[in-house]
Amino acid sequence: MFQKTKGFRAFFWVSIVLIGIFVFFPLLWMINTALKPTSDTFSMAFFTGPKTMDNFIHIVTDSKIMGYLKNSLFVSFCSSLMATIVCSFAGYSFAKFRYRGRKFVMGLFMMSQAFPQAILLLSIYEIMRRLGLLGSYWSLLISYTVFTLPVGTWTLKSYFDQIPDALIESAKIDGAGHFQIMRKIVFPLAVPGMITIAIYGFVWSWNDLLYSMTLVTDNARRTLASGLVMTFLGMGSTNWGYMMAASVVAAIPVTIIFIFLQRYFIQGLTSGAVKG
Amino acid sequence: MGERRKGLTDTQVGILLIIPGLAIFIAVILFPFVDAIRMSFTDKSMLMPDWDYIGLNNYRDVFNDPYFLKTVGTTAAFVLASTALPFILGLIWALLLNQGFKGSEFLRGVTLVNWIIPGTAIGFLWSWIFNGQYGVLNGIIKMLGGEGNTAWLGQTSTALICVVIARTWQMLPWYMAFLLGGLQGVELDQIEAARIDGAGNWKCFTKIVVPSMKNIIYLILAMGLVGNLQHFDLPWTMVQGGPARATTTLSLEVYNTAFKNWDMGKAATIGTVWALLLACFSIVYLKQVKDSD
Repeated sequence: MFQKTKGFRAFFWVSIVLIGIFVFFPLLWMINTALKPTSDTFSMAFFTGPKTMDNFIHIVTDSKIMGYLKNSLFVSFCSSLMATIVCSFAGYSFAKFRYRGRKFVMGLFMMSQAFPQAILLLSIYEIMRRLGLLGSYWSLLISYTVFTLPVGTWTLKSYFDQIPDALIESAKIDGAGHFQIMRKIVFPLAVPGMITIAIYGFVWSWNDLLYSMTLVTDNARRTLASGLVMTFLGMGSTNWGYMMAASVVAAIPVTIIFIFLQRYFIQGLTSGAVKG
Repeated sequence: MGERRKGLTDTQVGILLIIPGLAIFIAVILFPFVDAIRMSFTDKSMLMPDWDYIGLNNYRDVFNDPYFLKTVGTTAAFVLASTALPFILGLIWALLLNQGFKGSEFLRGVTLVNWIIPGTAIGFLWSWIFNGQYGVLNGIIKMLGGEGNTAWLGQTSTALICVVIARTWQMLPWYMAFLLGGLQGVELDQIEAARIDGAGNWKCFTKIVVPSMKNIIYLILAMGLVGNLQHFDLPWTMVQGGPARATTTLSLEVYNTAFKNWDMGKAATIGTVWALLLACFSIVYLKQVKDSD
């Protein structure tokens, strides 16, 4: 896109080194600290000193933290599934059906992330407390699903938009019902978009702190993000080796999913916006 | 088209399909939102069973609270800085990676890891980096001959900047991803033509590249502003809104008022005022979404 003039070369190299350090160094430092024996935690060695898995072993043998991890996997899996289903239905409806109020509902969904979350929590907390549901995951699951609505319906709508109306019409002429059409024709064609939203939903709930911290009051049922905050922020003295190891452990599941499904993720998320 | 199958018309199916989304929207957004506005006119507290409607008393208290204006200021500073910084760096990073050198694909993927990992982990990481005694930032300053004993997160003058830097680190990949998408849509012919007319890199960038990405730039800036206005994780995990409220944004203020002081009425009031501020951003955002439909 740019001509490799002297000025551009200088800009290129200076930026790539400076931003590169900013982008990549912190995560490496996290891993570096996690791999150091406790006696070396404060040393400045960068992957040069002695290495140990002790910090990781401490974290993965901590039954409380592993409990949080399991809870997180469960919640994230369920809300990812819910988000995919709900967004697929809504996205298909917005793309291929015309009815009064359609634009209005689309507008509402687009605004889901714009309502101040902390204030929504006040009422959700109250309702859940009265219903005795503060320990259950339902409030988390439906909240996380709602927050995937804007990106989710938008992305899937753009996938469904690409399916020619003629294809759906001809299936109708062949006698297929609405739900048969969805199951056999429409949804299979949008699978890449659905994978995008499934990852998005998973990552959202895996990373959420505010809702899980507030709506799950039973310590044993906490998810990883809030569980780690409760474990480490309350302590008088901080063991940075443990904290960095725990952070790496918390980052691993989403990173693995991301690495394998990266292609879907980047293209899927940005394509809707880019086309607009 | 008008043919009926299984008794459901197209319109009915269309409406049926949005019902799950609409139902949960009402359950966890619309109803709680309206209910919170109602709560802002009460003296509801979790510590007492009884409550009453007290009119505008909460609003008077909030506006008379000298801290409230400071909180709004902190929020504005946080939101603007942590939208502008990652946007600019993300744009430069996207332009560099878009040059398509060896390994640029790989760098793009690895960059996104920063965005995908939990905010809690990012908060831990940056409080470690900025740690006053043993943090790597002070360590590097020491190696370069400085004193290296600044309590970055412990003093009011630097704490917010530190949180903004952490947020910048987290969000840079997100802006990069969208801008890289936008760069694919730039017409290279136009650039070639401008070159022949004698335009340099900078002119091509400002006159062709940026204008053709105008829509996506508006969109991500609007989304970024709204996201930062909501943001909770990093100021909370790094400094819990301290020191001396230096990093207390509206999001943290509502949380603290409600779930630390259990003063639901006042928390709801702060939230309502915040929602009014947010409405201004949302209008811009909505307009953008509508335009691109």
